[in-house]
Amino acid sequence: MKKIVQISAALSLAASALLAETVLAVKVDTDLSGFKCKDEAVKLAKFTEVALYPQTTIKLNDKKANELNSANKAKRVQVAALYDGKNIALILRWPDKTRTVQQGYKSDVYGDGFAVQFATKFDEPEKLPYIGMGSDGRPVVIYLQKAVAKVYEPNADGVVGYQVNPHNTNRFGEDLEKFEKRVEQLAIRDYQKAFVSEGFRSMTEIKDKSAKYSADMHYVDAKKMWGGAVVRPLKDEYANLDKGAIPVALAVWDGEKLQRDGQKYLSGWIAVKLVGKTGGNRLAEVVNEKAKGDVAKGKELSMQNCASCHKFPGSSAPEYMAPDLSNIGGQATAAYIRESIVDPNAVVVPGYNRNSHPNFQWYMTDDKGNRTSTMPPFDYLDKQSIEDIVAFMQTLKAEVEK
Amino acid sequence: MSKRQLAMVMDLNKCIGCQTCTVACKTQWTNRNGREYMYWNNVETYPGDGYPKKWMELGGGFDAAGDLQPGIVPNIESDYGVPWDYNYDSLAEQNLIAGGMTPGLHPDTTPTWGPNWDEDQGDGDFPNDNYFFYLPRICNHCSNPGCLSACPRDAIFKREEDGVVLVDLDRCQGYRYCIAGCPYKKIYFNPKISKSEKCILCFPRIEQGLPPACAQQCVGRIRFVGFLDDEESQVYKLVHKYKVALPLRPDYGTQPNVYYVPPTEAPPKFDSEGKIIEGSNRIPIEELEKLFGPAVHDAIKTIKAEKEKRKKTGESELMDILIAYQHSDMFRLDNHYYQEVAKAKGMKPLAPVDERYIQGKHTKISHFKVHS
Repeated sequence: MKKIVQISAALSLAASALLAETVLAVKVDTDLSGFKCKDEAVKLAKFTEVALYPQTTIKLNDKKANELNSANKAKRVQVAALYDGKNIALILRWPDKTRTVQQGYKSDVYGDGFAVQFATKFDEPEKLPYIGMGSDGRPVVIYLQKAVAKVYEPNADGVVGYQVNPHNTNRFGEDLEKFEKRVEQLAIRDYQKAFVSEGFRSMTEIKDKSAKYSADMHYVDAKKMWGGAVVRPLKDEYANLDKGAIPVALAVWDGEKLQRDGQKYLSGWIAVKLVGKTGGNRLAEVVNEKAKGDVAKGKELSMQNCASCHKFPGSSAPEYMAPDLSNIGGQATAAYIRESIVDPNAVVVPGYNRNSHPNFQWYMTDDKGNRTSTMPPFDYLDKQSIEDIVAFMQTLKAEVEK
Repeated sequence: MSKRQLAMVMDLNKCIGCQTCTVACKTQWTNRNGREYMYWNNVETYPGDGYPKKWMELGGGFDAAGDLQPGIVPNIESDYGVPWDYNYDSLAEQNLIAGGMTPGLHPDTTPTWGPNWDEDQGDGDFPNDNYFFYLPRICNHCSNPGCLSACPRDAIFKREEDGVVLVDLDRCQGYRYCIAGCPYKKIYFNPKISKSEKCILCFPRIEQGLPPACAQQCVGRIRFVGFLDDEESQVYKLVHKYKVALPLRPDYGTQPNVYYVPPTEAPPKFDSEGKIIEGSNRIPIEELEKLFGPAVHDAIKTIKAEKEKRKKTGESELMDILIAYQHSDMFRLDNHYYQEVAKAKGMKPLAPVDERYIQGKHTKISHFKVHS
């Protein structure tokens, strides 16, 4: 039995090694600033398969969504990148059996969507931001595109005269048609947003036009797949991506499963190597690192040290007493897991809503008003034991959907 | 927890279900722009499924241990009821002789539910023991709001100066966890702007010293408004002094700040021969206990005792308050208080709207302050 477990663990490691390859950003001559998925340039792109794992760290309180997402497997997503010297385009393709668009007069319908996340600081790849929206002092910039039908958002335009229900306008016939056309013209055409974030709840939309970007999303019925692209400048005030390699993380949402916000599929940091530029090898090594520890020993140690608070297969911790680690191996680098064991205060994610589970406080506030992790540092463990735990943690991830 | 808490008391003995409050709120705040289906204030007939349909079964709130409970986001068609309109446009074209359609004014959709769908239906066998009463509902501006706890974006905030719970429309991304988290389902999704909206306790009016529109317009004078720490306010007296005003479903753990004086008087029941059963009351006490918790027994006892006292002595402060001789006495909003708050905060005195409500308090990341 032990042998079978080891073999299957080895197999899953082999499979994930295949999936976690570095993405090659191909240099193109054409201007990418207005790039769309259907452009010719896409033929030059080299697609790499990565796995996106269900986000399980925190619990969100939508009963139906929790039921629909309880048995999610990891999703295979094809990723490619292009750059033209000024802009970089990230291209995604992912399977989704149902095209779901948030539209009309509905309260419980959610659109499919995707997001691309860039770390703003990555000179020290061992200290990449927390994967779920960054952390204190380690910000990320996020580009989001959702499948949302045209909606009229008067708050953005302030055109009060057109906020009126058509039946309250004294308009009839052609006049009413004209009115509705005008409302349509004022509608928000596409749901694209850019955010900066330093942790849960701090995510803040960039509204002052300081982020130049565009996004595109389309569904291919014949293949039952979504395609999406995000283009942004290589350099702007949020991040300098004009390097040999850059860390990128991806998320996709399935509207059919009522996914939005934390209910999503999320990758770990992926290294995107800009072909023709030097450097970035260290980044690629760190994000693809497989800890050289003993998985079986690591499991034993994790059961002794981690299982009373963290949830993962085999642990007896109450739900969400601490972050759920069920998919930690799919979403965190070995370096991040190592750091979190030795120094839990290194990444204190702001804004975890303690009101929702006051009995399980993930963070405390010290005398100076700094937020500290409730988890004690496990820095007394010897180096090999830590490596064993990290190796085991890296095996914690959902099976990849076929 | 806010420094002070504004609260409302509704006397259910006096509510006649006329929906004046509903209309006052509707026309003031929610008659346009994706809010057509919303009723920040609604009056439902109890017992009944209410608005949205079966709201008490849709989850949210907190368990005894204080953990937020998962909930369900209601559907506009089946649970709220799409606000239907009429075929005004085709009226002129209807051919009463040859036309295929049934002539006349018809709803443009088949209505399936609405804000007072089960109006006056009630429960029990007519005429023996049937009963109902009206239950007006607004956002409870809870001290421990389920919506605030559920929001992953920190888009909901509770004003320090008066405990009014508001949605920061700049931060709201329309995830709708707040709707699942509110056990009263008193927060609504605006599909046109893809954001959550809710009762704002008429804060622009309150800051001017005016009571909320629902309270001002109430023809039954059932609504009292005041600060819970203001011992001169009638709200304080009803809630803390006489303890006759009770929160709705306190078992949800949200510590609501809208209080109800439970219905105490109902006609007696009839027996099988149609004779009055002496001392009987049509409203089952179990129902009241379900709504207002075990404290309802003492509240009813107090009201009845004060009524007796009034009969015998002609005096009872509680009865004077509940009768509401002067409408203006029911509201103690302390206009000066808001001016002081504005001055202390360096805000323009009596701003017409709370700026955070429309602009967002965290528009730039440098402004983001984490609540510990």
